[in-house]
Amino acid sequence: MIELLGIEEKTYTLNLGPQHPSTHGVLRVLLEMDGEFIIKAEPVIGYGHRGHEHMAENRNYTQFLPNLARVDYLHALAYNQCYCMAVEKLLDLKVPERAEYIRVITCELNRLTSHLLWFGAYLMDLGAFTPFLYCFDDREHLLDLLDGLTGSRLTYCFFRFGGVPVDIDADFVAGCRAFVSRLRSRWDDYHNLVTKNVIFIHRTRDVGIITRDQCIKYGITGPNLRGSGIPYDIRKSEPYSAYPEFDFEIPIGSNGDIYDRYIVRLAEMEQSLRIIEQACNKLPDGPIMAEKVPKRIKPPVGEVYQAVETARGEFGMYIVSQGDVKPYRIKLRTPSFANMSIFPEMAQDNLVADLVANLGSIDVVIPEIDR
Amino acid sequence: MELVAQLLGNEGARMVVGLIAVIALVSVNALFLIWMERKVAAHMQLRPGPMEVGPHGAIQTVADAIKLMGKELITPAEVDKPIFWLAPIVIFLPVLLSFLVIPFSSTWIIKDMNVGILLILAFSTLSVLSILMAGWSSNNKYAVFGAIRSVAQNVAYEIPLLVTVMSIILMVGSFKLTDIVAAQSGVWFVAVQPLAFILFIICATAETNRAPFDIPEAESELVAGFHTEYTGMRFALFFLAEYTNMFIAAAVATVLFLGGWQGPILPGVVWFLLKVYAVIFLLMWFRWTFPRLRFDQLITFAWKILIPLAFVNLLITALVLKLR
Amino acid sequence: MLKDNLIKALAPLNLEKVAEGDYAKTGYHLEVAALPAQLPDVAQAMLAAGCFLESFTAVDLNEAFDLVYHFASFDELCRTAVHLPLGKKKGMPTISHIYPGADWYEREVFDLFGIHFFNHPNLKRLLLPEDADFHPLLKDFGASQGND
Repeated sequence: MIELLGIEEKTYTLNLGPQHPSTHGVLRVLLEMDGEFIIKAEPVIGYGHRGHEHMAENRNYTQFLPNLARVDYLHALAYNQCYCMAVEKLLDLKVPERAEYIRVITCELNRLTSHLLWFGAYLMDLGAFTPFLYCFDDREHLLDLLDGLTGSRLTYCFFRFGGVPVDIDADFVAGCRAFVSRLRSRWDDYHNLVTKNVIFIHRTRDVGIITRDQCIKYGITGPNLRGSGIPYDIRKSEPYSAYPEFDFEIPIGSNGDIYDRYIVRLAEMEQSLRIIEQACNKLPDGPIMAEKVPKRIKPPVGEVYQAVETARGEFGMYIVSQGDVKPYRIKLRTPSFANMSIFPEMAQDNLVADLVANLGSIDVVIPEIDR
Repeated sequence: MELVAQLLGNEGARMVVGLIAVIALVSVNALFLIWMERKVAAHMQLRPGPMEVGPHGAIQTVADAIKLMGKELITPAEVDKPIFWLAPIVIFLPVLLSFLVIPFSSTWIIKDMNVGILLILAFSTLSVLSILMAGWSSNNKYAVFGAIRSVAQNVAYEIPLLVTVMSIILMVGSFKLTDIVAAQSGVWFVAVQPLAFILFIICATAETNRAPFDIPEAESELVAGFHTEYTGMRFALFFLAEYTNMFIAAAVATVLFLGGWQGPILPGVVWFLLKVYAVIFLLMWFRWTFPRLRFDQLITFAWKILIPLAFVNLLITALVLKLR
Repeated sequence: MLKDNLIKALAPLNLEKVAEGDYAKTGYHLEVAALPAQLPDVAQAMLAAGCFLESFTAVDLNEAFDLVYHFASFDELCRTAVHLPLGKKKGMPTISHIYPGADWYEREVFDLFGIHFFNHPNLKRLLLPEDADFHPLLKDFGASQGND
């Protein structure tokens, strides 16, 4: 028809970002569009590149510790833990059990803050404002809890090589228990407000499907992978810290669409609550710091790869030591980087509205991509 | 007193006084509605909302309006200037004119025209023109997107809206708003025509570009849609028009379905405003509860569900009236 | 066992080293050393075994690069580290046609180390600005350079 009328069919370029309400940070997506349809999407990243890997090579092991909280500011403690575990492996340090429990509890609390923020922010992407404030109400309690223990509210740097610096007290445990029952009482509200909403279901079902094959080819991890039905969670498949001692499940989806990823994240929050509950019940006594932690961290020559499960997927740390006080090379394998690399394929031949829904559903943290 | 009565008896004077009253009402109403929206939203979201300026933040919006007036009117270099300047005015005029025929009570009406409802519907369509002007002249891709979406949406939702209104007109046999209210002295039409009421509320939400149908300004997709490039008072005019449109939509709903000014004890105008604000509250409730529809879903919803339903409703109404 | 299958699958490629790793110490179940030209075959074998590309990076050893590919599997705990020595000013074959996810990793390494990847569909800077003229993770790039 268009050819018959002699009108030239034209595509145009649309710049989504770097300043845009739904890119959640400074991400730019170059879109080639035909009307409202996307022909090609090319993410342009790096606006928040601070060179953490380069910084690592120029300071000693301890000095690099706070940097990691700035990589993924939403699940800082998991990054903290990964680095500590990697260095402990290099140094051959054994962390006391109580410290492991404290690490697990705080990590899971931190995971909850991340998932709650995602839940709220994602609904805001879809145009529903109210759930955002409900989540933040809950999240506030978590932040207060962690604030009391670690001294910060977002960029935590709480773990040390060999353990944790501060012990938790009965108040903290009581606070955790209170929060667990508080959040459990909120599930009904969340499901009634969002999960059962017809518009929400129509916006998310069968949209942004990620297949198993794509997961392997792009190295997708985290809830995005589990939404596609692959039960891969480092906490189970490569158990670390005190996780083997707790009874929890890995929620998975079946379709791989946005709705499944949403359900997986919500179910994961409940599993985190279970872990916290069990950890509070079984909390062992004992020291919180390993004996014989060297004053000067100077690991022997060698290399190590350590992975943990963050709220967004597998975070891996590859450290090469040449027997110096500074790491020779540190590579941060961040989950959002791999998860984002599938985005051009997901966005293709979709509407702009779906692009926003997709981008939100893979839950990227931009500083983590840029590092 | 007599002078006032005489003055109001005069057609021309009545219009002048009326228009001044309408402009005052529009401004005060918009300021109130914005405050109300913020308060309603806040209380639905477990927070108090504006609290600082005035009791419970009651004059916060006045402060905001003063701030907006003090802002620089930025005209981006690449815009089509005449159209860019005209659009905020064009969106405001039809909104003002619609007030001419709204019966606030049996006597509080500026001009009781025999085609009142048609006038309102015709003027409300004009706002699309302004949105298109604003979006197109802005020379911004997001704004054009918003404008195009807005036109498609308004065309799609105008049809079920008109058809729904037709079923009421059939029952009354008059386009005159006072006649429609008078016909509801016994039973309100919302009880006789519940489906029509639901259809009307949905279409009115879409026509006023309110969530979940706020596609033309879908923040998370289009930044701010058609008014992305507007600042200061020009932006304020769009904002004002949105809330005034809401008032008109609610007023029409009140006239068509909720018995207009009729009600016991309280004076008619109080009843009318109570009902209008109740409908507005409903619209606000929608906005703070639902996610946004996708554009194609929105259009499909209008053409495949609302329009057939509206026609079925019209046919049934006609059939029942014929058989009675 | 995936590990044994991988050893079997990699055997015909004549790699320099295919050995079991010390998991407790390094986190690897399998350590592989190969030459750059053999990489596409290794990647192909990994994909056939259902492994995903976990991470890819380079280490500047001053006289040469050490490229490290990490592969893991969703079904079974088995991490493979593939080490490749690469001389300075030499290029690498791309594996972005095998693992599309490698596209960005290779661009990143190109960006930060200046290593060229042959046949890469879109080899341009990823994290640094397009007009940057340095590669910050090279060892001769000092701590104070580049941030004027």
